[in-house]
Amino acid sequence: MQLVVNILVLASIYALIACGYVLIYRVSRVLNLAHGELMMLGAYLLVATASGLSNSPVAALLLALALSLVVGGMVYLFLMRRMTGEMVLAAVLTTVALGILLRGLILLIWSASPRHPRDMLGWENPVFTLPGDARISLYAGLLIVSTVVVYGALFLFLRFGRWGMRMRAAGQNPLLAAQRGIRLHAVFALAWGLSTFTGATAGMLIALDSGLDSTMVMIGLKAFPAALVGGLDSLAGALIGALIIAAAEVGVIRFIDPLLADVVPFLVLIVMLVVRPWGLFGTREELDRV
Amino acid sequence: MSKPLPAASGHFRRSYADEFRLIETRFARIWATVFTLCLLAFPFLASPFYVDLATQVFLTSIGALALMLLTGIAGQISLGHAGLIAAGAFTAGILFKEFSLPFWVTVPAAAVTGALLGLIFGLPSLRLRGLYLAVSTFALHFVVVYLGGEYETRRGFSTGILVDPPKIFGWEIYAPRTWYLVLLAAAGIALLVCINLMRARSGRAWRAIHSNETVAEALGIGIARYKLLAFVISSSMTAVAGALFAYYRGFVSIEAFSMYLTIQYVAMIIIGGMGSLLGAILGATFVTLFPYLIEGLMSALPGADRLAGSVFAVNYAAFGIVMILFLVFEPQGLVGIWRRLRDYFQLWPFRYRPVGTKS
Amino acid sequence: MSLLTVDKLEVVYQRAITAIQGVSLRVEERQIVALLGTNGAGKTTTLRAISGFLGLDDARVTEGSIRFRDTQLENRPPYEITRRGLALVPERDKVFPNLTVAENLAVVPSRTSGTARKMEERAYHFFPRLTDLRRRTAGLLSGGERQMLAIAAGIMCDPDLLLVDELSLGLSPVAVEELTKSLVAIRDELGVSILLVEQSATVALGIADYGYVLENGRIVLDGDAQRLRDHSDVQEFYLGHTGSDRRSYRDVKQYRRSRRWYG
Repeated sequence: MQLVVNILVLASIYALIACGYVLIYRVSRVLNLAHGELMMLGAYLLVATASGLSNSPVAALLLALALSLVVGGMVYLFLMRRMTGEMVLAAVLTTVALGILLRGLILLIWSASPRHPRDMLGWENPVFTLPGDARISLYAGLLIVSTVVVYGALFLFLRFGRWGMRMRAAGQNPLLAAQRGIRLHAVFALAWGLSTFTGATAGMLIALDSGLDSTMVMIGLKAFPAALVGGLDSLAGALIGALIIAAAEVGVIRFIDPLLADVVPFLVLIVMLVVRPWGLFGTREELDRV
Repeated sequence: MSKPLPAASGHFRRSYADEFRLIETRFARIWATVFTLCLLAFPFLASPFYVDLATQVFLTSIGALALMLLTGIAGQISLGHAGLIAAGAFTAGILFKEFSLPFWVTVPAAAVTGALLGLIFGLPSLRLRGLYLAVSTFALHFVVVYLGGEYETRRGFSTGILVDPPKIFGWEIYAPRTWYLVLLAAAGIALLVCINLMRARSGRAWRAIHSNETVAEALGIGIARYKLLAFVISSSMTAVAGALFAYYRGFVSIEAFSMYLTIQYVAMIIIGGMGSLLGAILGATFVTLFPYLIEGLMSALPGADRLAGSVFAVNYAAFGIVMILFLVFEPQGLVGIWRRLRDYFQLWPFRYRPVGTKS
Repeated sequence: MSLLTVDKLEVVYQRAITAIQGVSLRVEERQIVALLGTNGAGKTTTLRAISGFLGLDDARVTEGSIRFRDTQLENRPPYEITRRGLALVPERDKVFPNLTVAENLAVVPSRTSGTARKMEERAYHFFPRLTDLRRRTAGLLSGGERQMLAIAAGIMCDPDLLLVDELSLGLSPVAVEELTKSLVAIRDELGVSILLVEQSATVALGIADYGYVLENGRIVLDGDAQRLRDHSDVQEFYLGHTGSDRRSYRDVKQYRRSRRWYG
């Protein structure tokens, strides 16, 4: 039973992060390899607002979430906007460079020592016992809940929201979207903002649950196979992919060798690339497009 | 396909043999000789610190040239370069530690390991393109690093493997000066191999595959063969560089081969200038010297001792910024800047080079 | 003053290839103007230049001007131009294939807020057939339905001038007739001017008030529709009338050459 809970918690972490990769890829065909760093930045934003607003913790959390949305949009407007129309590789490498820059800045501002935003906000992290003797901490439970909420909201937004439809339209045919009067830069900036927002949500909850240091980037990187296994342009795929990766990882830690934990997602990724490169739910012609 | 004429020099080839010359004009020959002499004299004139820097530049140049061959010329994106360097270093380290094999066995063995790994890294390229290929090599990097880490912990070398200085013909390579000369020779050989590969059928095939795979196939180029060839050659060169690295440092540890190393190598070929061998060397020089430059700048700033703790972070951030600046404002890299400068002086008072000559 | 005035337009692709040169044309209020020409004559480039290029097209207007009412439109991004009241129905990829018909119309931002509902009703009014297809994915529509949807999405932009690229390409004569009728209706009821690019001169001159003939990136002939229909060269080369006696091929070449000289 504990095993199932562990898998669910890890899967929701990966799913929450992976939807950021999917959003940006689906709208602008750019693979954002700085997603792990942006997520970590979100968590550190919480550290910053927590130290400023320690007496009103909820405001600190909301402010940090709002800031992450803004940061994502800024990244597009000031950096990635210049890379539209360039080679895909150049855009991807720009995100890599952005990742390095962010990592340096985070180290510079917050140093490498671990932070505990939960203590700064003065919150508790009680552990609940579920039927079947499984235990889950409050924030791990919140992770699962927010994953469900975020995916539900994203689904509704993309399906029925006007801006959501515009995002889908811009992803399919940016030129036609522009000719219909859709502001591409606004749509792309929104995608970057939402992606950073969801990533930062994951980052903050992980930080609240178990503290924060620069190793968080690794979690972001491991979520990337989840997005790809499911298919880079499919949200439902990211959910399933996250489950698969999490199940494989927890299973391997439990039954084979804990040292393998950091490699398992990538092993699954390699198998997927050999068998079905476009992912479980991805579109097949994606392969030729990039 | 004939080589382009040397840049707008008024030089023409008169015989068939001229087409095959490596260095065509007397001016270039004099230049090359002077440059080589300077390189040879350098270790005897400069301080050990600078000799060490130059040695590092040569070492990274080999890896950068290999990656340029694969990514810049054949167009196969690889994000697994650190994994290959690690494989070379570990092959040398393990063979030395477990079987105490000499230098001249371990380095070729590293090359063979590299070639085999190149085959494995290259197989996905037969099916995948662009981003997806990058992702598959990225994943393989983690697998190689895991295997290295596993070996370290299983054998109890969790801090790393110590490697003694190599002996060539009973002559121990230990002094910085000797290392300088050995690695200069190695980098020189690597450069010559690359130049010749570029001039031959393989180079033309790679460039054709880079610009358009379908057309290249229609022209009768064996896509699969040349892609794999690019991976195998590049990987074995990289692995040799890794083995040399192990000997040069006298120490192998998996910690050294993080994703950041891969990014550094990718940065070298971008900053240097995609598709140019000269670019690979310029990029390797730039990226190797960059941290020292930053450190120097920071110690020159007022209140240097306060900043001492954050050198590492500043390095990271500055490196990211430089990479972004090159990607956004100078996609041609250092080679682009060099070509513009050279054209300006070479063609003055004119502005454009005549049709048919290439820089 | 004309609604749209294009003056001595020159467009260069990839900083090297000149696609059109010295193209001048006018569209008046409530007018349907036809732009005729063979393959590669530069019709589509002219339309694309008017409706705006994206960075990834790597094309620029290097000379001349495009004036729409009081504003210059050269080298502005497409979404800005569309918001000024100039909508394009492109030749290929004219709908978003993974979106439903209703969604295809809904993604269009309205020029004035609060009019989205009215615009949608208007679109369905001109193309009642789309009402039944609301929930159908656009990729599954037939060619004629797709063209209808594209024009409907075009009028969703609430344009003053509608640019239509290749109305009849690949469609059956029945569908083409239906579409031309809707275009005329749109012009009559909404007072929208239409610039129609066509290969088929019969279709275009059937509904146009005025026409231009484009060859090798230059305007070689213009006049009102009646004059063009009666022009012997147009009859021969675009309408396919051979006349009573067959002319020798040498005269044909003569025609092309002279048009190129004086055009």
